[in-house]
Amino acid sequence: MPDTIELLEAIGKDASLRHASADELAAALGEAQASEALITAAATGDKEQLAVELGHRQCDPPQVSQGPGHEEEPDQEDGDDTPQRSPAPDRDPSSTKR
Amino acid sequence: MTLGSHLTPLARSHIEQADVVFAALSNGVVEMWLERMHPDVRSLQPYYKPGKSRMKTYREWVQVMMTEVRAGKRVCGVFYGHPGIFAWSPHKVIEVARAEGFEAHMEPGISAEDCLYADLGIDPGRFGCQHFEASQLLFYERRIDPAGYLVLWQVALTGDWSLGRLETGPAYRQVLVELLNRDYPLDHELIIYRGATLPIEKPCVRRIALRDLPHVPLTAEETVVLPPATPLKPNSVIRDRLNALDKLYGTSTLA
Repeated sequence: MPDTIELLEAIGKDASLRHASADELAAALGEAQASEALITAAATGDKEQLAVELGHRQCDPPQVSQGPGHEEEPDQEDGDDTPQRSPAPDRDPSSTKR
Repeated sequence: MTLGSHLTPLARSHIEQADVVFAALSNGVVEMWLERMHPDVRSLQPYYKPGKSRMKTYREWVQVMMTEVRAGKRVCGVFYGHPGIFAWSPHKVIEVARAEGFEAHMEPGISAEDCLYADLGIDPGRFGCQHFEASQLLFYERRIDPAGYLVLWQVALTGDWSLGRLETGPAYRQVLVELLNRDYPLDHELIIYRGATLPIEKPCVRRIALRDLPHVPLTAEETVVLPPATPLKPNSVIRDRLNALDKLYGTSTLA
């Protein structure tokens, strides 16, 4: 059985598959002998089986807030509401350690 | 950012050439995809804890990345979407690394904002477009221009001071609705948008009335777009000044 992650990457890269209908995508995955979980997810949008196949790895949305807040550790620098000057563009590499 | 579709060749090259890769991604499948590109991918997800301030987590991310930089490693941080948009630690770690004399830079990525313009058919140049984190609209006095698009990020977390929650709730969103109602009617149609993360998904697009915003399910990854509510108003004073300049200088290109 082909690797599910590799199949997902292949779909994401392929103009004919990325915006294919659910039926077309499921048919293509069937021909590629994809896992039932991936075919079901593509055909119906139900990703429960896919989550089981891939091990239910959950992620919190990263960086979900930039706003000020009450923190357990006050940080004067980062808690400042005043816009900061834009960082300098990349320095001359000769002036850096690496 | 969609798996397989939106990683630039240069970003992929940075990942592959790094000594160590740190990952802050919003999806476990995407994290598994990243692990195929490099043998030493270290997830930053475990630093999140329920009730812990996200700012504390983000400072820890900077420290853990800088530890490897100071050890002489070539370090690559991989962040969901664009690493510099709604992302504190990528900017901070670059600032810290440069201050300590290390070379550091950011590669742009394809953000939810980029996907939003494509999926919703919005051109921010047509009427103008303002972007705010929803809480910032409540915490500060800001000027909304209802003649342009208004894009509100992280509406699910509206009004959260703690930085420890992933959602607030209807009462908090009601405050936001009342603020927006100063510039928009309650029946103004807004769009709730989420881009596709897996390439087998379609973008999620819902249209509701402003008054219903507190009562619909909403996740931290969803973005709210308010289309213009008023037409562009000609600025006759400035137009008269420009016309006078045209008469003075002509309309040909100035040298």
